[in-house]
Amino acid sequence: MIHLFWLSLLSQSYYTPLEAQEIFRRAGEAYYREDYTGAKQEYLKLLSHGYGGSDVLYNLGTACLNQGELGDAVLYLERARRDEGNSPDIEANLAIAKSRQLDQVMGSSEDPFIERLANAVRQRAIGIAFVVAWGLAFLTLSLSRFLSGGRRLMARTIAVALLLFAVANGSLLMIRAYVRRTYTDGVVTAKALQAREFPQDAGRVSFEIHSGLKVRVLESSGKYLRLRLPNGLEGWTQAEGISII
Amino acid sequence: MKRTGNQLAPAFALCFFAATPALADVEFYQSVDRDQVGLEDSFHLTIVASGAAEDAQIQFPSSSDFEVLSRSQSTQMSYQLGGSGASFNRTQKFVLVMRAKKVGTLILPSAVMTTSGKTYRTEPLKVSVKPGRLPGPIAGRPKRGVQVPDPFRGFPFPDEPFGSDESDQEESIPFRGTREEADVFLRASVDKQEVYAGDQVTLSLHILSRVDVSGVDSVTLPKLDGFWSEDIESPTQLSGEQKLINGVPYRAFLLKRLALFPVKPGTLKISSAEADITTGFIFTGRRVHRVSNELTVQAKPLPPGAPSGFSNSSVGKWRLSAEVSQAQVELGQPVTVKVSIEGRGNLKNIALPSLRGPAGLRIYDPTTTDKLSPAHGRIAGKRTQEYLVMAQQTGLFTFSALSLQYFDPQTEVYEEATAEPVSVAVVPAKGGAIAVGGDRSHLPSEPKNVLPAGGARPLRYRASFQGEQEPIWRAAFFLPSLLGPPAVWLGLILFGLVRSRFNQQDEGSVRRRRTRAAHRRLARADALKASGTAEAFYAEVEKALREFLEVRLGVPIIGLTRTVLAERLDQAGVPEEQRVRILQVLDACDQARFAPGGNGGQRDWVLAQVQIVMMDRWK
Repeated sequence: MIHLFWLSLLSQSYYTPLEAQEIFRRAGEAYYREDYTGAKQEYLKLLSHGYGGSDVLYNLGTACLNQGELGDAVLYLERARRDEGNSPDIEANLAIAKSRQLDQVMGSSEDPFIERLANAVRQRAIGIAFVVAWGLAFLTLSLSRFLSGGRRLMARTIAVALLLFAVANGSLLMIRAYVRRTYTDGVVTAKALQAREFPQDAGRVSFEIHSGLKVRVLESSGKYLRLRLPNGLEGWTQAEGISII
Repeated sequence: MKRTGNQLAPAFALCFFAATPALADVEFYQSVDRDQVGLEDSFHLTIVASGAAEDAQIQFPSSSDFEVLSRSQSTQMSYQLGGSGASFNRTQKFVLVMRAKKVGTLILPSAVMTTSGKTYRTEPLKVSVKPGRLPGPIAGRPKRGVQVPDPFRGFPFPDEPFGSDESDQEESIPFRGTREEADVFLRASVDKQEVYAGDQVTLSLHILSRVDVSGVDSVTLPKLDGFWSEDIESPTQLSGEQKLINGVPYRAFLLKRLALFPVKPGTLKISSAEADITTGFIFTGRRVHRVSNELTVQAKPLPPGAPSGFSNSSVGKWRLSAEVSQAQVELGQPVTVKVSIEGRGNLKNIALPSLRGPAGLRIYDPTTTDKLSPAHGRIAGKRTQEYLVMAQQTGLFTFSALSLQYFDPQTEVYEEATAEPVSVAVVPAKGGAIAVGGDRSHLPSEPKNVLPAGGARPLRYRASFQGEQEPIWRAAFFLPSLLGPPAVWLGLILFGLVRSRFNQQDEGSVRRRRTRAAHRRLARADALKASGTAEAFYAEVEKALREFLEVRLGVPIIGLTRTVLAERLDQAGVPEEQRVRILQVLDACDQARFAPGGNGGQRDWVLAQVQIVMMDRWK
């Protein structure tokens, strides 16, 4: 009896990869039936069982976009971009979501180059390329000691090339790590949020922001977060309505 | 009209002819439904004659103190079998609606009946008349058995043999106007006092008159705050019908009939209507102003459990449909899609679901037409939305299925009306007869299969799942992978340095190494003896010998003359024989280098000499 209980519990909380693929397929079918709510639920089910990744996040964001939930759409598409870097379909759907936003942030400039660069790279691919090139470069250098003449020269040339490649990837990785460590971005998922001048309910409302707007989170105080808009406008708003990317 | 006695008429007739019954005893009496009335009230005088002959003459009470407003009559036949044999009884009942003309205790005189040569009189009745109105029994219904026994009590038929005659037409209206106002008044009524919000309640506005009405003007309709109203009936001519109000015959003229739909739950008030009514005709006409009664309607909230997408205006009973004008259309040609909803309810306020189609179709804003067809005082009809759809791409396009959630107030459940998806096939337009090579600029441009950019990108079909991603620099393998390779490389460098350091400190090992190197060169020279050139052979031999001598002498010998070399060898204690061999070999090498063309035997000799030198264990 106890075994049966655990078995049923495990079967509810764990999906095999095949089951996960089946849920993914089912979600796609629901989406094309225009049952966006059903599709969203299936994708969320996958996420809650540890089957994430940029594909699931992208599809979930797209389902939310069609459902009209701008906040969630931008949130999941941004998360997909965080994992995968710039991708044409992610960028296209993010552009649609942003075009539907209520807020028009006036005077906002483009993100700094370092952030755009950090967002553009696929951190996992870059990281693996760095580790492999780095290791191979030093292995080749080490082996070259046991070679002589032209072979030694060739080995050292290859090692230098690998080292340059590794350094380039390592630099990108460092930039990505720096941006990630330094900046925290969030998306407004509440329908509307009031930004106050200081983190108290009695604080004067400076402006109001709406779902789907991407903001920078600067600090927190109690239930309030200090936000900065792309144009530099800042205010304190309730943390409940903000989801960190 | 319902006459209960007629149901058993054949049986009575059979009995009547089987036996010859005698007429029963004659009874004749009168009663009123109330002994105290107001001057504005009407009351009922009931006169019953039982057992009288068919040709009996009845005179009703006549008094200048009372007026008769209306009179009705009914007859009941019964057949009884008793100890004295069968008897046949005929009972007549007269109901007079009367009204007193003055205040005081008035006497209602006797009624008189003459039958079979005899005269019967009823008892006069005393009626106390007060000013105004008095609360009393429901008007129009005689108060039976108060003063006299009911002649039909116990009769084997329904309890109210006479009451049913009047129930279909008679109405009871609490009226508080003056005696004059009672002759003609405005009456507003609703068919239901309590409805669900959004359901229909029908408001009727009538003129009720006991006098001739020749015209109505300046009609002010009631204020209908909280209602959505639709006109059902607005007669252009006054057309009356007979109605009994509180037992008094009136002519009822319909002025207006409206369908009202409460837009929110709560108690909603319908204010008074007003109208100027002209009574009488040309010379005797009189214009009076009348105000109707006020009404309240209780609008109930819809029950909980409304499905998602339900709109509060969707109350009634509906059927949804969609149709496309053509199943196949050429590219560039329009096609019409009609979405219709039909049923009963507030048609003008119902919101149809929007038509949605694939991106290849351009759907223009619809035109809406309503066709109201009220039936039995209920608003019903059909709303149609026509969408003009222009195909911009070829292919088979299916419009989404449509559905509408609504609340049916009759069954009190939420239901769903659905329309099946409809499709249209768009085919390329026929080119027509276009002259080849002719000038086409004057022809209209052909419709194109437009493939625009934009729109949300499609979903990804395959997924590569990943768990919650930690940055790679936080992975366990990252730091070892970062530090490991340079550490190994540095380790190798250090090892080499250490080893060379050790090698420099041990002179013996250097000598051994260089000796081994000299022997290796000698081995290479041996290999070149047969196959290599003389130059290469002698170069290797010379290098081997020089390496060997430098190890043995401990000084570099390159650049030394033969004489100096001989001295050094002598100083090193090299025997004379060996010194000669060394110098001969070196000379042979020089000779071969600068004067090539030596034979193979010379190589053997040189090689043998060097081997002898290097095998000698001098010093």
